[in-house]
Amino acid sequence: MKKIIVHFQHWLQTNQTKRFLDKGFIFLFLVATLISSSFIFVVVGIVLERGIIPFVTDNFGLGPVNLFRFLTGDIYLTGDTFYSVSYEIGYLIVATLYNAFLALLIALPIGVLSALFIAKIAPKWLASILRTTVEILASIPSIVYGLFGVTIIINQVYLFADGLGIQSRAGLSVLSTAILLAIMILPTITVVSELAIRSVHPSIEQGALALGATVTQKNFKVVLPSAKSGIFSGIILGLGRALGEATAVSLVSGSRFSGYSFNIFEITSTLTSRMLEGMKETQGVDYSIRFSMGLVLLAVIIITNFALNFVKNRIGNIHE
Amino acid sequence: MKLTKVSVGLMMSALFVLAACNPATSSSSLTSSSGSSSAPTFDQSRTIALYTRDTTSGTRAGFMEGIGFGTASGNDSLLTDDFVVRDNTAILAAMGGADKYGIGYISTSSLNNTVKGLNFGGVAPTIPNVINNTYGLKRPFMWMLRAPFDFPGSTPTVKGSVELISEAFIAFLNTTDGSDIIGSAGAIGFYTGADTWDDVKDEYEVCEDDNSAVTLRLGGSDSIQKVAEALTLSFKAKCGNFLPDHDHTGSSDAYRRTNGTSKDQEGVGKDIGFSSRPFRNSGADLELDVPSAQRGQLAWDAIVAIVHNDNPLVNVNADILKRMYEKASATPIRTWAEALAAQNAL
Repeated sequence: MKKIIVHFQHWLQTNQTKRFLDKGFIFLFLVATLISSSFIFVVVGIVLERGIIPFVTDNFGLGPVNLFRFLTGDIYLTGDTFYSVSYEIGYLIVATLYNAFLALLIALPIGVLSALFIAKIAPKWLASILRTTVEILASIPSIVYGLFGVTIIINQVYLFADGLGIQSRAGLSVLSTAILLAIMILPTITVVSELAIRSVHPSIEQGALALGATVTQKNFKVVLPSAKSGIFSGIILGLGRALGEATAVSLVSGSRFSGYSFNIFEITSTLTSRMLEGMKETQGVDYSIRFSMGLVLLAVIIITNFALNFVKNRIGNIHE
Repeated sequence: MKLTKVSVGLMMSALFVLAACNPATSSSSLTSSSGSSSAPTFDQSRTIALYTRDTTSGTRAGFMEGIGFGTASGNDSLLTDDFVVRDNTAILAAMGGADKYGIGYISTSSLNNTVKGLNFGGVAPTIPNVINNTYGLKRPFMWMLRAPFDFPGSTPTVKGSVELISEAFIAFLNTTDGSDIIGSAGAIGFYTGADTWDDVKDEYEVCEDDNSAVTLRLGGSDSIQKVAEALTLSFKAKCGNFLPDHDHTGSSDAYRRTNGTSKDQEGVGKDIGFSSRPFRNSGADLELDVPSAQRGQLAWDAIVAIVHNDNPLVNVNADILKRMYEKASATPIRTWAEALAAQNAL
């Protein structure tokens, strides 16, 4: 028995075996990567297959959905549900982007300043506590944020609007949606920005201080600009979450049926919250159209990502 | 340098957002918001905030039909702009708390004192008023059986198990047990007597057999599906574990699939059909020609329009509600002052 083990160990140590095993593992990694990356094709393929049905078939006699009006119109559905194909989601595309950018507007300054504090200013023990707290925030499920939104945020927004003499629909509004999304993307932005700020090389900071800059000047004029490429990555990740969030948004947005609107106290709807609405009790074209909206949402996210990456590359190279 | 530009951009967008707030609404109601907050103030010049269920909801169909606006049951584009789609719980919560200027509708079984349930045509939305048929915003839940000896397994002279169980099921609807189940499923039982199932079950010997191989086919209105399923779930245990097969496709099929054209079609015919509207004769559907022993009412589905407790409105009718919800109304009601004026003119 002992002899066999010794023989096996010897076999393992030959160069030929090592090369063979290496190749085996490389193959294993390749398979794992193929499996994980092929899901994009499976998922997109299925959404695509279902999502084009409303446009290429006559939907059991109702006629195909008009693609141009679908992408530009502002009345979600004209006519009876299940008996009409007059779907228009142009206003939802705009509202989705509007809500996400408003959320970013709120979350970005707070997130970047917290990141700066955690990375450069706070003492080590405090920084590690804060970092853990923010990471926990990032992992809270969206429905929990939604429950928070539906109990606290909409009531506060209602009172705030009422104080201004504006009548909101029970606080269901663009503002509630933006605040909720901001809270949800804040941890993402903070975590990624903090990492970027922490990895700014100390020699750059020391250089600034040696030239007579104050600590605040150094932080704002040297550290932040040097880290902006990483901060931009945080923006991209945060915006991705904001654009794709459905559950929490549907609880505070109020589901707007028609019309472009930029008033922050009016009800709104995003592509995701509209896809979710009535999903459980629908069929036919009203079911398939949700997949079409999914395709549009994918396109919106991809285009936004490309645009932000383009901007990131343009501004990211100055201090590097 | 670039960072400065970015921050200037952010500030510009913030200004843009603030500018986007509707100046018309903010200026018109400045007078009212300065009033004291201790006494309940209600600014009648405010716009009515409309809440509705989504187009797949049976409550919505009942409400829209009840106010003479049945075309809007499945069509959101006929409703006044800026309505809010919410479910039963959320509509109740909005009227009960945040939205002082809203109006919505819920099933009467959900009504509680956190909101104000509006009288309909001068009648309060109470269960006794629904049962004595004075409260108007409601629809009946009806049942219909196949003709005697026309059930699967029945011969022209002998009733089979399916027919006997169907008859027992209808008898069960007319007991307090049946009424209780209808009540807990969100409707109001039609039976008001005191008989329990135990009092009448001796007349239905079929329920003492093992019926686990007998399938009872139920269909018709999908609004009644929840109530019907609750009833069969409870009754199967009392009647030899027969197998209820629910296939609810719409009120018109209550007649068509039990007594009409498709009653003998394979996989379509039903033993018991339900309708969420009164039976009527229209076209080839001669529902009222079915002998009255083969049809009856099992429940009421009553709906109540609700507003915030601070709202001075107490009484509405179908016309007022329709003028609120209908976008293309010739005489629209859009503000609470208009609604109160319409109420006072009743």
